Amino acid sequence: MQIDLQHRPSQAMAHVVLTPGESVTAESGAMVGMTPNVQVQTGSGGLLKGIKRMFGGESFFRNTFICSQGSEVGEVYLAATLPGDLVVLDVGASKYYLQNHAYVASTPGVDVDTRVGGFKTFLSGEGLFVLKTTGQGQVIAGAFGAIEEVRVRGEYIVDTGHLVAWEDSLQFRITKAADGWISSWLSGEGLVCHFTGNGTLWTQTRNPSEYGEEIGRRLPPRES
Amino acid sequence: MNHEITHGPSFAVLKVGLQRGDVLTAEAGSMVSRFPRVKMRTRINAPRSAGFFGKLGAFLTALVRKFIAGESFMVNDFSCDEGGEVTLAPTFSGTIAVRKLHGDRILLTRGAFLACAGDLQLKMRWGGLRGLLAREGLFFMEVSGTGELFYTSYGGTLEVPVNGTLTVDHGHVVAFDPALDFRIRLPGGGFLGLVASGVGLVMEFSGRGAVVLQSRNVSTLASWLTPRLP
Repeated sequence: MQIDLQHRPSQAMAHVVLTPGESVTAESGAMVGMTPNVQVQTGSGGLLKGIKRMFGGESFFRNTFICSQGSEVGEVYLAATLPGDLVVLDVGASKYYLQNHAYVASTPGVDVDTRVGGFKTFLSGEGLFVLKTTGQGQVIAGAFGAIEEVRVRGEYIVDTGHLVAWEDSLQFRITKAADGWISSWLSGEGLVCHFTGNGTLWTQTRNPSEYGEEIGRRLPPRES
Repeated sequence: MNHEITHGPSFAVLKVGLQRGDVLTAEAGSMVSRFPRVKMRTRINAPRSAGFFGKLGAFLTALVRKFIAGESFMVNDFSCDEGGEVTLAPTFSGTIAVRKLHGDRILLTRGAFLACAGDLQLKMRWGGLRGLLAREGLFFMEVSGTGELFYTSYGGTLEVPVNGTLTVDHGHVVAFDPALDFRIRLPGGGFLGLVASGVGLVMEFSGRGAVVLQSRNVSTLASWLTPRLP
């Protein structure tokens, strides 16, 4: 398998080349185009996994793209919903956590499990669930805006709406942005992720829910 | 205080290095990340004043700013005695520009303010009765004093020098020189012109000065989306 990223950084798209028998799994709706020798299988990877994903705000189903045996190489193009960059993470020696909406695709050897990111996140609209990757292979993560790679040595704080992914060597806890609940709410920052340890994390330069709110305010109210 | 603007023009972010004594005032909700030793203090968006009536006045000013001018009620002050860094980003895709003020002034439209440092005063300026028709608010933010101002645009920016008159779509204006006279009016052709031209209200500038325009318009995005919603 070969993955290369095109049209970076504002409108990135992943070009995946599959040899016969190889496959790639992607978030529902991520497919842009593919060659005719690629078969699509839609599945949840287990009922419980699908339900957990739905709780995390993702789709119940995911699509697996398989290159037919005895054919030429197959090609699949994948993209995220919002304009922005993509990053390919090598899973194996390093394991990662992904903010649940960052998931775009993964290779078959990678297990992507939905987890609760902390009880306090129940109170925020974002980041209640995180994805943990284990196994061997690659994951493609997508961002809203540009992606910044940050090497953390010690401590670092990131707004939960700006998180893409982080290495599991970093400990994280979701905390209030300011000292008190009221000032956290007033500050407009809501919840932040407090990281400690050594490792790499990736941030996105725009916040999808903040953007949604700003646009939403300008739209007519939904008729019920 | 040092700063760096990266990832422009589409998705710009502002990184500010703070030393002892530096204070960066930022729009509420604009923080991306920071070192934990960088302190964040939230306060109401009005000049700091002493005494009960001063505080009450500040509270009312902030209320007016929030509900009439559409600005945030709160702002965040970032400081760091040991030296540290904070990263800020605006809501929309676009650029961040820096403007150093040395006793001069600049007017910003709603949503353009990102952050400022130094001895700067932020005041509201009434845009005229016609501005009532503008969906993006009828107030402008006047920034004066000495310091650094960081403002943001939706899309790319273009600085247009005016010597005479210039007519632009109100939704594309980011900032302008207070030396310019301006008038907010309907585009030509009366009411039909407003509906048929697809242009919102226009601003007519006259005199000598500069106008900063943005290449995208938030109101246009909203009106494009509206008929497509279920």
